[in-house]
Amino acid sequence: MSESTAAPPRRGLSLDVYAVTLALALALLVRLNLIPPIKW
Amino acid sequence: MATAVTTATLAPSSGLARRVVELIPGLLLLAAVGYAGKFIEQSIAAYTKSHHITFPNIEYVLWAIVIGLIIANTTGIPRIFQPGVATYEFWLKAGIVLLGSRFLLGDVLHLGGISLLLVAFAITLSFTFMHFIGRAFKLKPKLTSLLAIGSSICGVSAIIAAKPAIDADDEDASYAIAAILALGAISLFTFPLIGHSLHLSDKAYGLWAGLAVDNTAEATAAGALYSDAAGKVAVLAKTSRNALIGFVVLGYALYWSSRGEARAIGNKAAFLWRKFPKFVLGFLLISLLATVGFFAKPQLASLANLSRWAFLLTFAGVGLRTSLRELGKQGWRPFVVGAIGEVFIALVTLGLVYGADHFLHL
Repeated sequence: MSESTAAPPRRGLSLDVYAVTLALALALLVRLNLIPPIKW
Repeated sequence: MATAVTTATLAPSSGLARRVVELIPGLLLLAAVGYAGKFIEQSIAAYTKSHHITFPNIEYVLWAIVIGLIIANTTGIPRIFQPGVATYEFWLKAGIVLLGSRFLLGDVLHLGGISLLLVAFAITLSFTFMHFIGRAFKLKPKLTSLLAIGSSICGVSAIIAAKPAIDADDEDASYAIAAILALGAISLFTFPLIGHSLHLSDKAYGLWAGLAVDNTAEATAAGALYSDAAGKVAVLAKTSRNALIGFVVLGYALYWSSRGEARAIGNKAAFLWRKFPKFVLGFLLISLLATVGFFAKPQLASLANLSRWAFLLTFAGVGLRTSLRELGKQGWRPFVVGAIGEVFIALVTLGLVYGADHFLHL
């Protein structure tokens, strides 16, 4: 059997990476007080 | 030549801009549905308080899901809204990463460790059981594998991750996904009722929801429907479960390739990394930063609230993407096998959580 050449689930991977990037960017903005306090 | 180069350089960015614009209507719909749920919760609470009426607080989560379900199953979601609505999973993952700010790393390791232990036990039992009933109902073996992966690990993401790895049919994958989604929708309404009737603590219920409800969005919603604290624990337990996705998919891929019915796996470490949900690392990083005092207290409150807003969009999306008509089309056998498996897993994990609460002091 040949090694799996099926395309990896890129959508899932990039979705995770984008979500983590956004969350970390928001956390940094909050840490640097660059956005006002977020209310709920 | 210069024009060709310019076009080639600009094309991706203009494509990206168009994609971002396409997301706006659906994002606005997610925000409107989620905020309507929050508005209804607050309005009922204010009305009952001012009129001295005793009425149980119905969380915005339920209202957002119900409004979404009504829209999706009456008017349907017009095409223009669909790309934006599909981002609900993105908001879920961003929300989970931000939720890391509400956990000290020690709590993550304690509860996450217990979750992993219980998950490993529940997975072993549920795989054996799912294969037994899959055979009894004469389902195709790969469909049974997908249902077993979906119901014991991580719902739809696990099925999508496993499908190419075990060379399963599109039809099998869509049956398994439909069954998992339908059962997830049912668990949203049944789990909180069972939890309340058994007087489970927030921690025990959250752990149970995180271990037994398949899809991350539904597990998060089922936890939040019980209480804020239960929602937090449900996300942690579910995240620990998600972290195992690569190992289980690898195990199945090796099994099917050893039978000559799937392609061989070359570099197993690379395979595991590809399947590993990266938002788990983001969650751990934010939790670590919160533990070492990187954020001040008001900043931690802001991060927790950002996480709540992200989940609000997610819960709206859970309702909006659930088409009862589509779920009904998929045939009864995968659904019955999935349902029996789910009930089994729910009972096993409930027993495990009871035991853990007793002996490991959650």
